[in-house]
Amino acid sequence: MLSTTTPVGAIARKDVTDVLRDRFIIIVMAFLAVAAMTSLVTGAIALATDVATYNDAKATLLALGKSLDSIAAPEFYPLKLLRGAIEQIEIIGAVLGILAGFRAAVSERGRQTLALIMTRPIRQWQFLAGKFVAGAVVLSVGLLAVFGLAAILLDFVSGVGLGASDLLRMAIVWVAASLYVIAFFAFTFVATLWMRRPANALLVSFAVWLLLVLIAPQIGDTLDPDNQVAGGVFKQLHVPKAEQQRIASGYATFETIRNGIEVSSITKHFERFSFAVLGIKDTYTGKPLGPILVEKRGDFLWIFFTTLGLTGVMFTRRLKSNRLTKE
Amino acid sequence: MPASISGDGARVIARQSLLFIFRERTVALLAGLFVILVLISAYLGWSATSTVNAIYADAVVYLKGVGQPVPPNPVNDISPLSLMRNMSIYVSLIGALSAIVIGYQLIAADRKSGVVPLLGSRPFERATYAHGKIRALVMAVAGLMLVAAVIAVATFIILPTNPLGAVGWISLFTFFGLAFVYMLMFGLLAMATAAWARSESVGLLLPVTVWLTVTFILPSLTSNIHPTAAINPISALAPPPDTGFFHWTGWLFGPISIAESFKYLSAGLLDYLPATAINHSMVPPLPDLLLALTGSAVLAVRALMTMDMTRGDYNA
Repeated sequence: MLSTTTPVGAIARKDVTDVLRDRFIIIVMAFLAVAAMTSLVTGAIALATDVATYNDAKATLLALGKSLDSIAAPEFYPLKLLRGAIEQIEIIGAVLGILAGFRAAVSERGRQTLALIMTRPIRQWQFLAGKFVAGAVVLSVGLLAVFGLAAILLDFVSGVGLGASDLLRMAIVWVAASLYVIAFFAFTFVATLWMRRPANALLVSFAVWLLLVLIAPQIGDTLDPDNQVAGGVFKQLHVPKAEQQRIASGYATFETIRNGIEVSSITKHFERFSFAVLGIKDTYTGKPLGPILVEKRGDFLWIFFTTLGLTGVMFTRRLKSNRLTKE
Repeated sequence: MPASISGDGARVIARQSLLFIFRERTVALLAGLFVILVLISAYLGWSATSTVNAIYADAVVYLKGVGQPVPPNPVNDISPLSLMRNMSIYVSLIGALSAIVIGYQLIAADRKSGVVPLLGSRPFERATYAHGKIRALVMAVAGLMLVAAVIAVATFIILPTNPLGAVGWISLFTFFGLAFVYMLMFGLLAMATAAWARSESVGLLLPVTVWLTVTFILPSLTSNIHPTAAINPISALAPPPDTGFFHWTGWLFGPISIAESFKYLSAGLLDYLPATAINHSMVPPLPDLLLALTGSAVLAVRALMTMDMTRGDYNA
């Protein structure tokens, strides 16, 4: 815990108090929690429907005296129900980071207090560090509440208690989610402090959010030929697996470009890491955590270094005296 | 005030507002981004279809070589109009956001520059101001749609392998009309909040929150339960699980799930509506969108007619 007697601690504490008093960020967090829990509950209801359909089919087959081999029993992994919640963090969590970064910077410029702070015996890095620490703490604690709520709800809707391994996986994803959201916080905070008009910084941040969170993954998804035909192009052409790989190898450059567009987005790295750790993606379901973390460390490092890089930019650029007020 | 003078006043306000907002870098940035994405949308449609075609040609060589029957080319089952299916996604994402920014800037620019009290002292009715601002919004959104339509038409003319018949052209232009309605609705909403809000951020963030809710949250109750399905034109229309809960939520929340109404109508017009797509809403998609547009227009007119002309800039 930072001491509030140091300039960094005092600024951080003041900012956290501001967030709690202002309630704006709290409302956005509540919005994220509602969105994530809605996705979790709808996922649980969808799964319950699959189970009911399976039970009906099973009863029909047993009544006819037939074998159950022809139908696959739905597999139940509680953490898979977090898919919608993770997707909401990808989209709305990033917006939360943007709004928190904007508010942290605009509160000083809007109230014309930034110029006043700079007249005090405080170093620029201390002011920025205080703001950054407050933002990081608020966002991480907010996400912790979202994950905690999800764990309680998962326990309730699934009827299966979460084990220590499940909670550990959720904790790891919480760390990644916090870094992901803090990256958007840092970008918007820097942009709002340095751009001439703070409102324009907010719009630029939303444009970046659109490109990274929605457009880049959308382009990658669309360029995947298997997504162009219902059920997949190879499946419809009845081509065996070995031949599929041979044909696909002829499009290696195309696939490299497609994947390159996808991985240019921090969102895609967060999604790949989270889906693997939580076993949401079928290939990782039920697999031990250690090998998954080794395989997916690249995605985690991408998120970590993006956040670190943006934080570095924040500290290396000097505040301009003509950017200390609202406009 | 005579109608002609009111009309002239509105035209002057609309012209001045348009000149001003397109000088704003953020508006230009988002509008430019929208146009670029429309171009990308056309390229993506062409590229995806070409790749499937090429894979089919490779598969035919193999299937003939091993003496297996050759299935029909799946590309032949895809309508040429569906080449533009990504356009519906870009309109619902960047198009709606651009309209929000334009609607917001049309009012916020006046408030932030402090000219509102000055405008209040001029000899024209409040209705003239509202008329001029809404006309500017209509022209700006129509301009963006016109650019998108020109790009789409050029794509179909350049790619002779994807010819459109008369019905296809009518469907394409109807789609752009629908996209115009969808974007205008968000622009009008942003205009209303920019006029009403005391704080600059609230004026912008309120319509953005509405947009986030209708785009990413409500569809998980009325159609595809996965939020990121909103970025895929086909997945977005996947039916919800066939249970009483989703039938009920679809019926109840359908009227406010306007992004889904827009995507459903777009898929019908661009000929990629999956056979499994169902709309459970108590209000059919087209009346739903028109009702939403009317609601936004009423809000915008009311906000502009009751705007405090003695107040200038926003609070911090």
